[in-house]
Amino acid sequence: MKIKVVTNILEANDRIAAENRKVFDDAGVFVINLMSGPGAGKTSLLETTIKDLKGRLKIGVIEGDIAGTDDAQRIDSLGAPVVQINTGGGCHLDANMITEVMNDLPLKDLDLLIIENVGNLVCPAEFNVGEHMKAMLLSIAEGHDKPLKYPLMFQKSSALILNKIDLLPYTNADLEKIRKDSLSLNPKLMIFEVSCRTGEGTGEWTKWLQSLVK
Amino acid sequence: MHEVSIAQGLLEIAIDNCKKQGYKNIDSIKVKIGKASGIVSDSLLFAFEALKTGTIAEKANLNIEQIPVSGFCDICNKNFTVDEAYVIACPICGGSSFKVETGRELNIDEIEVSW
Repeated sequence: MKIKVVTNILEANDRIAAENRKVFDDAGVFVINLMSGPGAGKTSLLETTIKDLKGRLKIGVIEGDIAGTDDAQRIDSLGAPVVQINTGGGCHLDANMITEVMNDLPLKDLDLLIIENVGNLVCPAEFNVGEHMKAMLLSIAEGHDKPLKYPLMFQKSSALILNKIDLLPYTNADLEKIRKDSLSLNPKLMIFEVSCRTGEGTGEWTKWLQSLVK
Repeated sequence: MHEVSIAQGLLEIAIDNCKKQGYKNIDSIKVKIGKASGIVSDSLLFAFEALKTGTIAEKANLNIEQIPVSGFCDICNKNFTVDEAYVIACPICGGSSFKVETGRELNIDEIEVSW
C-alpha cells in the first residue's frame, strides 16, 4: 500500500521558525541569523557592531557553538545581553534550539537580536530559525573559490561581509572574483568589505544595519 | 552533517503518516532531493539506517531520487539543466536573466506501508 505524502522534510522546523518569528515581531525586535565558516570573524564582527552602535541600538546576542562559552563571555564583557547554546556536536542551530533560549533575553527591550550560528559554511544555510534576515561572513583568507563551492549560503543571505581585508596583501585571494561569483549566485546580495581588526569598512556595515532596524 | 537532522525529520513525517492511516510498518520511503539542496545522499542514507532502528520503519528502504538543477532562460526562451549545484548564466546562450525551477527540493514523496 502506497501513501502519497509530498511534504517538505523541513516543514516541522519551518513551523517552529514561524512561531519564533511571531514572538520576535510581537516584541518588536529585528533578528539576524549570522553564519560563516569557523574562524571567519563572526564574534569579532559582533564585538565591533555592539561597540559602534552603543547608545543607538540595543543589541542582544544568541551564541551558537558546538561547545564552550568563550564567545558568550566576549559579548557579555561588552554589557550586551547574551545567551549561549551548546549544540554538543550539532553542526547548525535549528528553530527549536532558539525557542528554548529566546525568552532568557529581554526581547522587548532589544532593537536587534543577532543569532551567531555554529561555524560551518554548509548546514546552517538550510535551517530557518525565525530570523528576518540571514547574513554571512567570508574571510578573504578562506579563498575566492568559496562562493561557487558553497553556493547555498551565498544564495540565502541578504548580506555578505568580507572580513580580514587587511590581510589582502598577504594572500592571493581575488576579491573581484568573490564579488562577481557571489553576485551571480545572488544579484541582490549586499557586500561589505571590512577588517574587524583595524576597523576599516565596519562603519558602512553598522550604518546599513541601523537603517534596517529603524 | 545536517543529514542527521534531515533523516530525523523525514522519519518523523513518515511514521506520523503511517500511524494516521492505521498501518503498522513502513516498507519504503521515497524522497526527492534537489542537487542544490546541500544534501549528500550517502550521508543521508547512513543517517537513516542508524536512526530507523527500533522504529516502525526499521525494515524500510530509503529511495532517493536526485533532482537536477534546471531552469528557464528569459533571453533564449529555452529550458536548461546543469550539472553544477548552481546556475550563474544560461548554459545555452550565456544570458543572465533566468529562473531556476528545480534543484532545491527536500521533499518526502511517498511511503509504502503494510499491516
